[in-house]
Amino acid sequence: MKVLLVEDNERVANFVKKGLVEAGHTIDHADNGRDGMFLAASEPYDVIVMDRLLPGGIDGLGIIAALRKSGSKVPILILSALSEVDERIRGLQSGGDDYLVKPFAFGELLARLDALVRRSQDQGAETTLVVDDLSMDLLSRKVTRGGKPVALQPREFKLLEYLMRHANQVVTRTMLLENVWDYRFDPQTNVVDVHVSKLRHKIDAGFARPLLRTIRNAGYMLTADD
Amino acid sequence: MTELPRFSARNLAIGYIAVSIAVLALFATPLWLEWNRRIEGARTESLREDSQRLSEVFHRDGLAGLAGAIDAEVGRRLRSGEKLLLLADDSRTRLAGNLPEWPPGIADSPGMHTGWTTVAGTPMSISLFAARLPGGYRLLVGRDVTRFRAMESFFWYGLLGASGIILVLGVLSGWMVRRALLGEVQGISRTASAIVAGDLSRRLPIRGGAHELDILAQTINRMLEQIEHLLHGVRNVSNAIAHDLRTPLAELRSRLEELLVTRPPPEEVLGGIESAVADVDRVIGIFNALLRLAEIESCARRSGFVEVDLAKVAAEAAEFYQPLAELKGVKLSFESAGVQTVAGDPLLLAQAIGNLIDNALKFAPLHGAITIAAARRHGGMVEIAVSDDGPGIPDAEKPRVSQRFYRGDASRGTPGVGLGLSLVEGVARLHGGALELADNRPGLRATLVVSPS
Repeated sequence: MKVLLVEDNERVANFVKKGLVEAGHTIDHADNGRDGMFLAASEPYDVIVMDRLLPGGIDGLGIIAALRKSGSKVPILILSALSEVDERIRGLQSGGDDYLVKPFAFGELLARLDALVRRSQDQGAETTLVVDDLSMDLLSRKVTRGGKPVALQPREFKLLEYLMRHANQVVTRTMLLENVWDYRFDPQTNVVDVHVSKLRHKIDAGFARPLLRTIRNAGYMLTADD
Repeated sequence: MTELPRFSARNLAIGYIAVSIAVLALFATPLWLEWNRRIEGARTESLREDSQRLSEVFHRDGLAGLAGAIDAEVGRRLRSGEKLLLLADDSRTRLAGNLPEWPPGIADSPGMHTGWTTVAGTPMSISLFAARLPGGYRLLVGRDVTRFRAMESFFWYGLLGASGIILVLGVLSGWMVRRALLGEVQGISRTASAIVAGDLSRRLPIRGGAHELDILAQTINRMLEQIEHLLHGVRNVSNAIAHDLRTPLAELRSRLEELLVTRPPPEEVLGGIESAVADVDRVIGIFNALLRLAEIESCARRSGFVEVDLAKVAAEAAEFYQPLAELKGVKLSFESAGVQTVAGDPLLLAQAIGNLIDNALKFAPLHGAITIAAARRHGGMVEIAVSDDGPGIPDAEKPRVSQRFYRGDASRGTPGVGLGLSLVEGVARLHGGALELADNRPGLRATLVVSPS
């Protein structure tokens, strides 16, 4: 995917650039608001990573507001050291799609960018999600693996739905907390891992090929690929 | 000695004096008027009678008869205190009586007149009733009222004297009040200065016996107590932060330095770096928790309050932690008496309840039981009680566990940095409630109390 990074901190920018290039993405970088605004308005990007406080006359939220006003629907992830809940709300209200607080783990950034791009691409309202021989009917709320029904609690269903919608993508624990439970805090304990391993037991136990993988230092991925 | 404004004491004295004199005047004026009215009335009456009687003499005996009667009654010489009589013709020339002449300044119209005359060099205050007789003759019947004038001046001097005494007393008491106030204020000022200079343990003296300024002193002392407590807290927190951040930073540093010194093969270097990143994440985690706590405690977020069913939030939190409880062999149960609506921030409330359950899970023994109960209290407050049957918290430790970074004896060797209960308390306060810790015999019963609005 083609990413625009608007970030004035050189070290953070290099870190993100290297990581994204290594993950196989194309990246443009602007180190001030003016250039960022220019690039965002003139080039088609799959996703934009936007710092909030920028030199060059216009700050991150200003760029986002201007882009949205001109009708642009490109997904934007705001990257900021401002961590207060009110700041986050302000960021999302200005037209941002996700908000990541610095300092952050690169895995978290990459997973969120993938999720944003995926979300903006599949606009169709599917009624069935399929990953390999695992299938989820969103209308009847039935899940089968290899034709055999899998009984899930409502929350487990929601967890699996999120994983299936982001199949073949890394999904972090924070993303699961935010999207499956609507929680925005970091539990001291590994509760999310326990939920995932319970789900894994239900969908993978007795099958030769496990679908729900743990990605070290990042999170989880539901995939049929090896 | 600092010069303090004398405004209050001076105004108090002026006000006191003015009011006192006004009251005095209010009391004396009607008295004076009534007294005057009665005396004048009685005098007029008796003069009129005299004049009537003498007129009858004139009608009966003629001019000579009246002159004879007047001479017989008062003679020709005037003595003080005596009755005054004067018979004159129409040019006011004396015909008979003890007044030597028609007194100057007295009109000859019939009726009451007052004025002065001089008798043997001494002024005499007189009150006269003038009457006309047939033939143009005029009759003056009067009294020497000098002795009454003395009484009048006595009255006026008395009033003046009383006002003078009030003035002196007022000024004196004003000065005394000012002196007393000044003393008190300077006492407070001295203590405050000592506190400014850094001696936070100083307190204002309380004299007891319901002294007015004691109320002020007590309030200020309570304020000082709170300030000292807060400052102490800040100092503790700074120490705790420094200490708790130093540990992971020390580990990080030694890990990196070890890599630098030993130069192990690349796989091991990568492993070391991974651990180093985990160390940094721990530090970041502590910072995030602290920032969040500060955000909550600054009470800036009430704007984001919505109607929340606290029982539902608690039920979801219980469900969230259920698998972890199962894994630990702990029975986690939730009970509620229906919907418990409060005004609040659902995210924060969820985090607070989550922290309580998290804590309970940390301390519950194997095959233990945790109960989460939502209920509405008498008076409308809503409570979420999380009870476990773990080691509990000794009474002596209870007030300290919600301090930042405080970790009780029982928590040694468990993960966490000691900010969990601080956050719960912060959230409770933000929602107009409190965190209550009680004995569950055995174990701990931690209750999040939230105001319904």
